[in-house]
Amino acid sequence: MARYKNWLIALAFILVFVGLPAWVGNNAYLMLILSLSGIFVIASIGLDLLFGYSGQISIGQAAFYAVGAYTSAILTTKLGINVWLAMLAGGVLATVFAALVALPICKLVHMFLALVTIGIGELTHQAIINLPDLTGSFTGVRAIPMPRIGDYVFNVSSYYYIVLAVVVLSLLVKQRIVDSRIGRAFIAIRENTDAANAMGINVTYYKVVAFACSAAFTGIAGALYAHYIGFISPESFTLDQSVLFLTAVLCGGMGTFVGPIIGAVVITVINEAIQVLGSYQMLVYGIFIVVAVIYVPEGLVGVVKMIQRHLLKAVNRVAD
Amino acid sequence: MFIQLLIGAIMLGGIYGLLGLGYGIIYKTSGLLTFAQGEVLMIGAFLGYTFFKLFHMPFLVALLATVVIMFVFGFVFEKTIIRTILGGGGSAIHVVLATIGISIALQNLAAIIWTSEIQQFPPIFKVEYLEFGTVKVAPESISGIVVALASMVLLHLFMNYTKIGTAMRAAAQDSNAANVCGINVSFSKGLSWAISSALAAVSGIIIGPVYGVYMLMGALIGLKGFAAAVIGGYGNMYGAILGGMIVGVIETMAAGYLSSSYKDFIAFFVFIVFLVIKPTGIFNEKIIES
Repeated sequence: MARYKNWLIALAFILVFVGLPAWVGNNAYLMLILSLSGIFVIASIGLDLLFGYSGQISIGQAAFYAVGAYTSAILTTKLGINVWLAMLAGGVLATVFAALVALPICKLVHMFLALVTIGIGELTHQAIINLPDLTGSFTGVRAIPMPRIGDYVFNVSSYYYIVLAVVVLSLLVKQRIVDSRIGRAFIAIRENTDAANAMGINVTYYKVVAFACSAAFTGIAGALYAHYIGFISPESFTLDQSVLFLTAVLCGGMGTFVGPIIGAVVITVINEAIQVLGSYQMLVYGIFIVVAVIYVPEGLVGVVKMIQRHLLKAVNRVAD
Repeated sequence: MFIQLLIGAIMLGGIYGLLGLGYGIIYKTSGLLTFAQGEVLMIGAFLGYTFFKLFHMPFLVALLATVVIMFVFGFVFEKTIIRTILGGGGSAIHVVLATIGISIALQNLAAIIWTSEIQQFPPIFKVEYLEFGTVKVAPESISGIVVALASMVLLHLFMNYTKIGTAMRAAAQDSNAANVCGINVSFSKGLSWAISSALAAVSGIIIGPVYGVYMLMGALIGLKGFAAAVIGGYGNMYGAILGGMIVGVIETMAAGYLSSSYKDFIAFFVFIVFLVIKPTGIFNEKIIES
């Protein structure tokens, strides 16, 4: 019965989100925020698998995001390939790229891993800038087409449903991975790598798998981003973007189901909200990160649990 | 042209070395990483610019004032923010994220106070160019190298020949033993952040007169400081200097002989190669490896 309960709750949420646009009157700006949040959620799921579950710090996810985005954009604009296939190709290429990169670097841990992922991110950023024939360098890739089904071409409003579908799919796949032996290997590696090794877990293999999985999600998110905005340039794939991903996962709560979702939505909303502050926006954003880290190190999921605990204590006291 | 490139390379190398020194000192005493050094450099440059140009102080006074202010800033930063994070159950990654947040805030603060345009230092010396045969060198580059070397020598003397410096090294080596010996380890940690900030501020004042002062000047330099620290051996003072020189030379020569747009790519490529092949660096500092 408990299993069915979870499925019912999930179905309820899905129905809510499917009906949301009509309920809020198809407000274009709200749709933008929802779609961007969704794309961010997918990327956050990727980083959560890598950092939250297998314990590997990465401040270079923007590299995989870029590979997914640029692959899909270039395949559709330069080779006229079908958008759906191109997006898939973006995900696949990001995964392969991550696996190749992860092989030599996965032996590093903690801050050295953080540093090398920053290096990978910067290297990818520089590669995009220095290959103008392929990527258009600073001019970027423009007129990236929307996907279509038969004669129907998606637009910025209906794209929301594509993002929603991919988000639901990503959550399903993530839960599957987490509940499988792969997920258990990740957690074992995170908790005590030497013990995992002693138990016969092939640490290198699973570490690389973790990177590959995270890149699959992040690459798809990148491809979705490219076709949604219709234009990409190197500026969207810098260290700042990687930091955004990390902030979302840390502030939402790592290694949980809802953590990355909450984190991604909060970060996207805050990003939009501080636009009104004009030149002060990055100042507020920076201070927000510091405050969030000081007061909520476990992430918002931790806050929710804390509130639950206090509520339970209060209820128990009243009952006496 | 080679001489000109070399002088530029040594100056840049000196700056990367000073930043790498800062990273190493912090890591040795508190085991933490900071991403704010680039922005401390930038604020140092802006402060030096403000004192020298807007307040018309003599250059050395401006330099000293900036260094003292940033020294205090580093100390206060450690005592307040870092302590709070670590005390509240945060770990190293939270500190990293907090320093990233600070760096973003500082960039924006600089843009608000000093606008986002590139500011130029007025000439410090009476001559605009020094001429050695066919080679023209700006005196600010030479003075930059001198200041960087002087800072390194002063740091070396401090660390090895003063009581506080030796205490810091003891605290870095084994904080429990140092505590038992009566060394104030907590003060040591604050001091290490303060010294790192001072070094970054000095770097800012070195590079400001040569390349101009603007809010993004620290971002890439801060990352290359990491490269300097890693290549030399993370935590090793002399390694940081050597690593800085290596990065400076590779980058400048790549810009001069290949193409200036490739220089960052090459710098980061070398950085990654070192991390993958020899993470302990040239001086073989031990690292955490699984």
